[in-house]
Amino acid sequence: MSKEQVVVNRKKKKKVKIFPIVNVVVFLIISFCILLPIWKVIVDSFDAMAGYGLAFWPRRLSVGGYNAIVTNASLYTPFLISCFVTVAGTALGLFLSTLGAYVLIQYEMPGRNLLAYILLFTMIFEGGMIPTFLVMKNLHLLNNLAAVILPLAINVFNLVLMRNFFEGIPQSLLEAAAIDGCSPIAIFYKIVLPLSKAALASIGLMYAVQFWNDYTQFKIYITESKLFNFQVKLRNMVMDSDVPNLGDIDANTTKNAAVIIAILPFMIIYPFCQKYFVQGVNVGAVKE
Amino acid sequence: MKMQCKSCHTELAKHAKVCPKCGAKVKKEAYKNTKVMAIFGVCLTFLGGLLPFVQDVDPTNNVAKIKTDSIEIAYSFMNIQQPIYWYLFMLALVVSIILIAIKKEKISIISTAVAAVIFGVAFFASPYLEYTTSKKPFILHNLTDLLADPQVYAIGLGVYVIVIGVIIAIAGCFFDILKHFKKEIKVDPRYLSNSLNKNVWAKMRNFRWFYLMFLPVLIMVLLFNYWPMLGVRFAFTDYKIANPYYVGIKHFVGMATKDVFFWNAFRNTIILSVTKLILNTGAAVIISLLLNEISNLTFKKTVQTIVYLPHFMSWVVVASLFRLILSPDASGLVSSLFVKFNFFATFNDVPFFLGSTKYWTGTFFVINVWKDTGWGTILFLATLSGISPELYEAAQIDGANRWSRMKFITIPALMNTIITVFILNLAKVMKIFESVFVLKNDAVDPVANVIQTYIYDKTFRAGQVNYGYTTAVGLFNSLIGVVLVLGCDYASKKVRGRGIV
Repeated sequence: MSKEQVVVNRKKKKKVKIFPIVNVVVFLIISFCILLPIWKVIVDSFDAMAGYGLAFWPRRLSVGGYNAIVTNASLYTPFLISCFVTVAGTALGLFLSTLGAYVLIQYEMPGRNLLAYILLFTMIFEGGMIPTFLVMKNLHLLNNLAAVILPLAINVFNLVLMRNFFEGIPQSLLEAAAIDGCSPIAIFYKIVLPLSKAALASIGLMYAVQFWNDYTQFKIYITESKLFNFQVKLRNMVMDSDVPNLGDIDANTTKNAAVIIAILPFMIIYPFCQKYFVQGVNVGAVKE
Repeated sequence: MKMQCKSCHTELAKHAKVCPKCGAKVKKEAYKNTKVMAIFGVCLTFLGGLLPFVQDVDPTNNVAKIKTDSIEIAYSFMNIQQPIYWYLFMLALVVSIILIAIKKEKISIISTAVAAVIFGVAFFASPYLEYTTSKKPFILHNLTDLLADPQVYAIGLGVYVIVIGVIIAIAGCFFDILKHFKKEIKVDPRYLSNSLNKNVWAKMRNFRWFYLMFLPVLIMVLLFNYWPMLGVRFAFTDYKIANPYYVGIKHFVGMATKDVFFWNAFRNTIILSVTKLILNTGAAVIISLLLNEISNLTFKKTVQTIVYLPHFMSWVVVASLFRLILSPDASGLVSSLFVKFNFFATFNDVPFFLGSTKYWTGTFFVINVWKDTGWGTILFLATLSGISPELYEAAQIDGANRWSRMKFITIPALMNTIITVFILNLAKVMKIFESVFVLKNDAVDPVANVIQTYIYDKTFRAGQVNYGYTTAVGLFNSLIGVVLVLGCDYASKKVRGRGIV
């Protein structure tokens, strides 16, 4: 081996070793950028002196912010409303999308294509914000939680996603059950549903996120402050500084605590359910 | 899909004209565009029903006025005495579209003709109401009587559009009929499967429970998706608090010619949406390429968990979070850092990044990248994990370094997914709302107002609300959305062989 070749080889080796380190450093920086704002908010939510200078650790540890939210009726009612809307909406959404998807996998059914077209057309054209608002007005649903739950519960995209999941169930299984005398409804809850638990988890989580994070619908249809959900309340608190006066607790502490409470439910379940979330995205885009 | 001979089910070559086994001629699926033409015609007729049939005349040149203010008196289906005409007209047209979509073009001619007849009856025979803003608005007119006075009234746009639309719709179907006159390949019924021969009604009886199960879904969709579509007619009316009355296309003309805020919002929508799309996709591609190079699985999983995290926060939470760390006083993280490292002397010099027109757009993009990039990597990572490792090994043996492996293997494999993601998101460009809505304030309206927020502000925050005008803006937005969705669907079919809807 000549001298030059050795030098070249050494250079190559060095290059290969440097890249993974740089890569890891890059990802450490990215993770840091993502976690820093969240960490800062967590710190400030426990800091009774939030809002005075740069601190990455609570200077005067206090749970006063959380205490204020838990004890103050104007702050915990929105949280309960959020919980109610999320639970009711997810249940209704799952009910409708599983039913619809189950009907759409009946390939022999006359008019199946027509029903599918009826659903798909809503993905192409929509009436828009104002006509929908006027419909709600005509139905006397303004300032009623039904106006927030019902339109989001029939999510055609999720229904189609559910159908994609259901298509993975072998048709022969359904036929066998039908031949054995199983009624369509029994097939539905004895075969289809037990076989698609992963799909139910995946789409149920999508519905739950959608309802928990819902802000637009509340902003349009709900004007009474006692029916606001937590997102609306949070926005009022942070953007318009609409924080109840709570004595020695800094308003900033309460605001930060409210942000943490708004993300807490999903931060708790997210690490356990990550694969279901990811599965939903992949099925939505990759499979027919 | 493999082509098959219809009479003997032999597989055929792609461009075969005659079946090699039985000698029957192979028919290609032709005249596909005529279907599109028929649907286009029906849609045109539909639109014509919304436009004015008779309107007042511009005295200078004796033609129907299209100027903004002058369309004070216009007559259309909307101010007919029995509004049932409009519903019937529309129903007939919807039936036409469905019939064309399920390839029953011949029957669709009948329903289109029915729609034309309804229009004729409405035009010649039925009295029209003139609405005024006052409480007792009802003055009856006959359109034919009105037209007897050509100095004041002329035939409006709607009539022409309907006539042209009906002609195109029927002509489109007729061209499709031509193929029925050509020689058909006769298929022996014995070769058809049993289920196809069964009576449709008997089959429907078999599936009666499924129809019942679909009923709740159907009711919800009709109530919350299709009923609002009917509300689109308010775009052609003045609708203050109650009593909408017909004004023709006044709002659209006004929107296009006089409303500078609307055009500003339109420009912002395009700029914000498209730039966001490009930045997010680009960042997601880069991050997934880098993430793919990490060999330590635990580290990779942890990083994935962290970068997916912001996606689950609502826009309100993200906005609140950034509002708190960007606040221009001692409590804000960013301003504290700036002051500490002497970028700015005091807190008074630090700009509020969400409150000044100069910085808002940039901040918006940064926040978007922060929130959605991680989530965007999911699809790319799925594609990357599908690339065969043998390709990389072979390349390595051939002496390819990391860069050329990426250039010649990874990027080409990823290209299809990139285009797919791009197309999927391009269809949603006009729908941008919540992200802007929670991040903007009145101070940054010139750079931040998008069409949806403009509609919201003009309806729910303005003193004098005109639902008609905001519906018109919304309809314009929806129509661009439709064009985008259909265009992206077409592009998607070309690129990856299946549509997005």
